Amino acid sequence: MTQSLKLYVRTADQTRRAELDLDAASTGADIIQAAVDNWALPADTDYTLVNTTTGRALAPGEDLGKGVRPGDVLEVQPVLVAG
Amino acid sequence: MLDPSRAQRYRRHDLIDWFSQEQVSASRIAVIGAGAVGNEVVKNLALLGCGTIDVFDFDTVELHNLTRSVLLREADAGRNKAEAVAERARDLDPNVDLRAVPGDFWDTLSLRRLQGYDCAIAAVDNFEARLKLNQMCMIARVNLVNAGLDSRWAVIESFPFAASDEVACYECTLPESAYLRVAERYSCGGLRRRASLERRIPTTTITASVAGALAASAALRLGGDVPQRAQRRLLDTLGGAGSAVAVERRDGCPGCSAFLQPPRLVRIRNRWTAHPEDASDDVVAQPLQLSDALVTGYECAACGPLAQAAEYVNRRAGDFDDGIAVCPGCATPSVRVEIRDTFTVGELSARFGERRVPAKFALAEIYGGTVCFDLEEN
Repeated sequence: MTQSLKLYVRTADQTRRAELDLDAASTGADIIQAAVDNWALPADTDYTLVNTTTGRALAPGEDLGKGVRPGDVLEVQPVLVAG
Repeated sequence: MLDPSRAQRYRRHDLIDWFSQEQVSASRIAVIGAGAVGNEVVKNLALLGCGTIDVFDFDTVELHNLTRSVLLREADAGRNKAEAVAERARDLDPNVDLRAVPGDFWDTLSLRRLQGYDCAIAAVDNFEARLKLNQMCMIARVNLVNAGLDSRWAVIESFPFAASDEVACYECTLPESAYLRVAERYSCGGLRRRASLERRIPTTTITASVAGALAASAALRLGGDVPQRAQRRLLDTLGGAGSAVAVERRDGCPGCSAFLQPPRLVRIRNRWTAHPEDASDDVVAQPLQLSDALVTGYECAACGPLAQAAEYVNRRAGDFDDGIAVCPGCATPSVRVEIRDTFTVGELSARFGERRVPAKFALAEIYGGTVCFDLEEN
C-alpha cells in the first residue's frame, strides 16, 4: 500500500501556498512541475525544491518519502543563472 | 605581520573580533566572470584587502553593462571586461595583487593554476560555464562559490571541495530542465547550435551587490569555521527574507557520482608520440575520457570524403557550430560529423603523435579509482 504525506508547498516569495496530500513516492521534480503548472510560475525559469523544515535541499529525483515528514514545508526556489 | 602603511589602512578591520586581516590578506581568489556579480565580488575583495585576485572573462564591455558594474566606466566600452575591472580595482587598494586573464577560462585556467587558489567564484551567466567550473573545482579540490541572480533574488552556493571528499557538487540539486537548456544551445556531440537564442535575464545592481557581497564573504570564509558541507542561500532583495539550506550529495548525480573519491590528479606531457617499445598492451588499450569531445570524422553522405575534413578532424567539437554539417560541395546538411570524447592511449598516439591533444584533461579508471591526467602543462 502506498503511503501518503500531508505537507505544505509554497513559492519562495510565499505568495503561493498549498496544503497537499501526496504519494510518498512522488519526487521533488513532480512537485516542481505541479507548482509551475498550477501556479503559472514563469516557464523560462528553472526551479529547485528545499525543505525549509529540515533545512535541506531535495535532489530532483528524490522520493519525498525519503527526506520529508508529514507537516514539512517545501519551498519552490528559482535556480538563478544570471551573473 | 602587515607593514605599517597596510596596518593603517586596515585598522578598522582589526577592531572586528571575528575578522582576521592576516587571513584575508593571504587569500587567493579566482573570480570567473567580470559582469555584474564579478564587479561586486572584485570590489569587495579588493576593499577587504584580499591578497590575490585573478579575474577571468572573455567578454567585452558594452554600455548596458554600466548600470550594474560598479568598476566600469563609459570609456571602458569595447575593452575586455577582466582587464577593465582589474585596472579599476587596483586603484581601490594597490596592496592587492590583481591580475586580469582575458579569454575563456576553460582555455586560460589550468587545473594546476586552479590549485593555487583558496576559492574560485562562479560569477558567470550560464549553466555551461558553471558545470565546467564545478567539475574543475571538484577535481582540483578547490572550494567553489557559485553566485546567481535575477531581478529580485540572489543565490549563493558554497561547495567546500577542499574540506571533504563527501561534499555535494553544483549538479546535486540541478534540475533536469537546466540540462535541457544546455541542450538547446549545444548538440549532443557538443557542436553549438546556430539557431539557439541566448536568454536575456534582467538584473539590477541591487541583486548584484547582494550576491557579490555574500559571495566574497563565503569565499573568504568570513566569520566562521571552514564549512564541511555544501550550502545554498537564497535572498529576496525586495523584502529581505532569506533561507539557508544544506545540500547533500545525490546518488546518481551527473557531476560527482562518477567519482567515489575525487580523482587523483597527475600531470603528464601532452604529447602522444608512438608508445615506446616497453609500453604494455594494457597501457596502449587504456581508455581515456577527454574533457572535450573531438571531431573524429567528417564526410558527406552524398559527396563522400571532403577536403575540408582537415579543418575539423582532431579539433574540439565545441569550437564549431552545427553549420559544419552543411556540405561545402552540395550545400545540403548531409555531412556526417563524427564526434567522440573517449579514446585509447594507442588511438591518441596514432592521431596526435607529437601534437598536443586539444583537451584540458583526461579521465581514466585505473586500479579501481579515477585518475585525472592534466594535459595542459608541459
